[in-house]
Amino acid sequence: MRYHLRTALARVRELFRGRDRMAAEQQEEFALHIEMETAENVRRGMTEADARRAALVRFGGAQRYHEETIEARGIASVDNIVRDARFALRRVRRAPGFSAAVTITLGIGLGVAVGIGSIVYGVLLRDLPYDRPDQLVRVGFLTNGAAPGDDVHPSVTYYHFALSSRSFSALSEYIISEDYNLTDGDTPERVTIASISPNTLTMLGARPILGSLLEQGDTSYSNPRSAILISERLWRRRYGADPSIISRRLEINRGSRRVVGVLPASFAYPAPSVDIFYPATVPVKQPQISARGYVVVGRLRDGVTPATAAAELNALLPRISDRFPTITREMLERSGARVSVTPLKAATVAPVRPQLILLGVLVGVVLLIATTNVVNLFLLRTERGSQETAIALSLGASRLALTQRFVIEGVVLGLASTVVALPAAALALSTKFGFTEREIPRLHEVSFTPSTIALVVACAVVLGGAMGLIGLTRTGLSGLFDRLRAARSTPSRAWRRAQDGLVAFQVAIALLLLVATGLLGRSFWNLHNAKIGFEPGQAMTFQVSLPWGEDGYVSYAKSASFHARFVDRLTALPGVTSVAIASRIPLAGHGRTASLDLQSGDDQSRGSVQAPGNCVTANYFSTMGIPLRAGRTFQSGDLRGAPAVILSERLATRIFGTSDVVGRIVNALVQNEPPRPFTVVGIVGDVRSERIEDGEVPMLYFPLQRDVDGLGEEARPVPVRPMDVQYVVRGAQLPSPVTLQHVLKEMDHRVPATSIASYADLFANATARVRLTMLLIAVAGVSALLLAVIGVYSVVAYAVSGRVREFSIRLALGAAPGRIGGMVFGDGFKLVTLGMVAGLAAAFGATRFLRALLYEVEPTSAVEFAVATALLILVTLVATFVPARRAARIPPATVLRGD
Amino acid sequence: MAKPTSNEQVLQGTLDLLILKTLSLAPMHGWGLTHRIEQLSQDVLQVGQGSIYPALVRLEQRGWIDTEWRVTENSRRAKYYRLTTAGRRALGQELASWNRFVGAVGLVLAAEADA
Repeated sequence: MRYHLRTALARVRELFRGRDRMAAEQQEEFALHIEMETAENVRRGMTEADARRAALVRFGGAQRYHEETIEARGIASVDNIVRDARFALRRVRRAPGFSAAVTITLGIGLGVAVGIGSIVYGVLLRDLPYDRPDQLVRVGFLTNGAAPGDDVHPSVTYYHFALSSRSFSALSEYIISEDYNLTDGDTPERVTIASISPNTLTMLGARPILGSLLEQGDTSYSNPRSAILISERLWRRRYGADPSIISRRLEINRGSRRVVGVLPASFAYPAPSVDIFYPATVPVKQPQISARGYVVVGRLRDGVTPATAAAELNALLPRISDRFPTITREMLERSGARVSVTPLKAATVAPVRPQLILLGVLVGVVLLIATTNVVNLFLLRTERGSQETAIALSLGASRLALTQRFVIEGVVLGLASTVVALPAAALALSTKFGFTEREIPRLHEVSFTPSTIALVVACAVVLGGAMGLIGLTRTGLSGLFDRLRAARSTPSRAWRRAQDGLVAFQVAIALLLLVATGLLGRSFWNLHNAKIGFEPGQAMTFQVSLPWGEDGYVSYAKSASFHARFVDRLTALPGVTSVAIASRIPLAGHGRTASLDLQSGDDQSRGSVQAPGNCVTANYFSTMGIPLRAGRTFQSGDLRGAPAVILSERLATRIFGTSDVVGRIVNALVQNEPPRPFTVVGIVGDVRSERIEDGEVPMLYFPLQRDVDGLGEEARPVPVRPMDVQYVVRGAQLPSPVTLQHVLKEMDHRVPATSIASYADLFANATARVRLTMLLIAVAGVSALLLAVIGVYSVVAYAVSGRVREFSIRLALGAAPGRIGGMVFGDGFKLVTLGMVAGLAAAFGATRFLRALLYEVEPTSAVEFAVATALLILVTLVATFVPARRAARIPPATVLRGD
Repeated sequence: MAKPTSNEQVLQGTLDLLILKTLSLAPMHGWGLTHRIEQLSQDVLQVGQGSIYPALVRLEQRGWIDTEWRVTENSRRAKYYRLTTAGRRALGQELASWNRFVGAVGLVLAAEADA
């Protein structure tokens, strides 16, 4: 090995030394030799002329040795590359079918593989784009019964840890909110806000492209700076990259703020969609551990591991009671409070890891299928051309030259495949298969770059060369004599075994992917037909956020009257039959509301139950098609006394142990305050709220009335402010976005309608994740099936064509045609069975990795396994039957004519 | 090709060994090498003079010999060949294998007809 390496290096070195110079040195050396020999001859007594002639004769043909020496240096083979490439191109042109098949198969496989591979690498493996990313960790706060992935902190634990912990050089927090509107200028705009602790910026090494960063003192409400940072994107989009933006006050529906700096687009923390960065305040005046929402990220000190940091924080946790006596140790213990410390990268990508690993496996499979098929084509072709090769060899072509010719042919085909591979990779990376960073974190960091092109080309060259080499193993480099003799009889055994192996392998992969497609297909079907508890049908939705502040809509009365007027305007539009409002609507993926702590008003022995509160209009249930199970919907006067609430069936059962609770009292518990009583007036069906696969979410509904039922302007009858709400509009003709914006602008120019969507779209989005994964696997599965069928067919057909002579002799000797057909069929089917057994075993072991994506289907569901196997048997039967029938129909006279 | 007279053609495959051995005595240029081999073999072995150069290139590529342009005693520029450490090791191996070969041939030739 080292020897080959050195030889190769020597050749490369000499290549650079320049051929001319080398030739000149050689000539000089030879000339000296002849001169010295001449001198020697003269010394022996020859005449000058004779001596020189004798020297030349003895040396032999100088030109020949010159060439041999050059050959020994390996320069000739480098020289021949150009000639071989030309030869390869000629061969490629001569076999357009073969070349096209190889180019397209390899191109698609390579393009898709590089595309998906770049995504998987960029999201799962590449370092986060910050200074010393290995030191960044996400600090989670976990309690019993919290949803997986819900590890956000209450303000007090962050405050406590930031002051007491020694493991971190910085501990930061943020909250993202999507219900802020920019109200300056002509058109209001919904913006995404990140409230961050100012040390976030120094911790991550952010540098403003304009102005300065936030300061520690900015977190105080009384600070007259009222500073914010804006993103480069917002600065360019809304303010035309105007440098005078610094120190300008922006009108925001929660009060005006002053811009102190612009952060570059490359700073995509905590999410690339963030438009404005607020300095976060950490309120600890009323310490609570149930009001949570702070995402805590820290930078570990040198030498501190996540495990030691977690140990320190968990030890610090009980001492929070020393700082905040209202939070007792007993409370912490009862809720099972504990802290987790995870590397930031792992924490960021955790939710999508199973899908991405699946995608990564798909990359491998796609590339594997493409390469095995191309290798098969190559093998088939070299086998056909093996006589040609044998003749070339016997005429004295060197093996090195032959190897070179094969490799170069492979490389030329590989390079040709980049014509397909590059657009395929570019397409994969620009569409990202329809995913956005909403579904896959860090996806915005992935794009089609020059290095992608380099990767595609490098892979194409290596794969092409490797395939040429594999093709070479089939040439007559060994057993030349056998090959010449065996000219047209049975293919060699090793060759057939290699091909059989490849085909069995393809059958196995095809089966595995078919099973996976089946499982995901049924999941999708189940999701699509899941009882979601409402009627998505003909409806549109949009979000409306009302401005805060003195001339805003902070009170219930003001919000309610705005909504009432807007509903009236909308209902007056032609074609609209009903307009309903809710703080959150199912499957919208936004408009999340805080959880409430609820308890039965007459039976306090039962514990409290957490559920989200939703402020809705009386017609919400009929508009959404949510069935009323008992009692009534809201009506005028419901806000007086103990205000009316409606419970979903599941919530009623959780709080009271029964759903027959109309007329009973439910208490909303707020720490350090007396419980607030509400009267249950109705029970409605449960709905799937967040994602369909998460199941039904218990929900408490508060009334959103047209006014406050005479309770006074500042009354707060329900604990949810109806300021950020979703509208649902039904009717034969739905208003256009332009109409909506127009009507809103007439009512209050600061209020935009955002997230306008049809309910059908929301529903499609909710099933998109499973649908897309299913599609990807189905594409891979169907192409694997197709390739396996082609593989089975070509192997069997090839075996038949190689045995024509044998078959015709057998037939001539009286064998029944059926027996011959059966023999071929049996051979082919043995192959398929082998692949099928391997595929079933692999599928049995591998499908459990799909569990995260399956919905109400077991990973080893017998139906999917049986159907996939049956399908595969059916198509491979056809693939073997066709050549078998041909074998049975060989006319016995063929042998007399042939060869 | 130079016709063998009463002399022996160098046996195929032994040229490398002869070159390595001769160079182990002293670095020298191509003509010197052929001359020295003939001299040492008392003119029995005739090296195909031109064929020594391809062999030298092969050995150089294997890293067994090094080259260097130097000035001869008659003040001519000439390419000198010198044995490397790897070459010295290779010479030992080649020698051992040659000796084994010669011994084996000797054994065969010395065999006497059995009854």
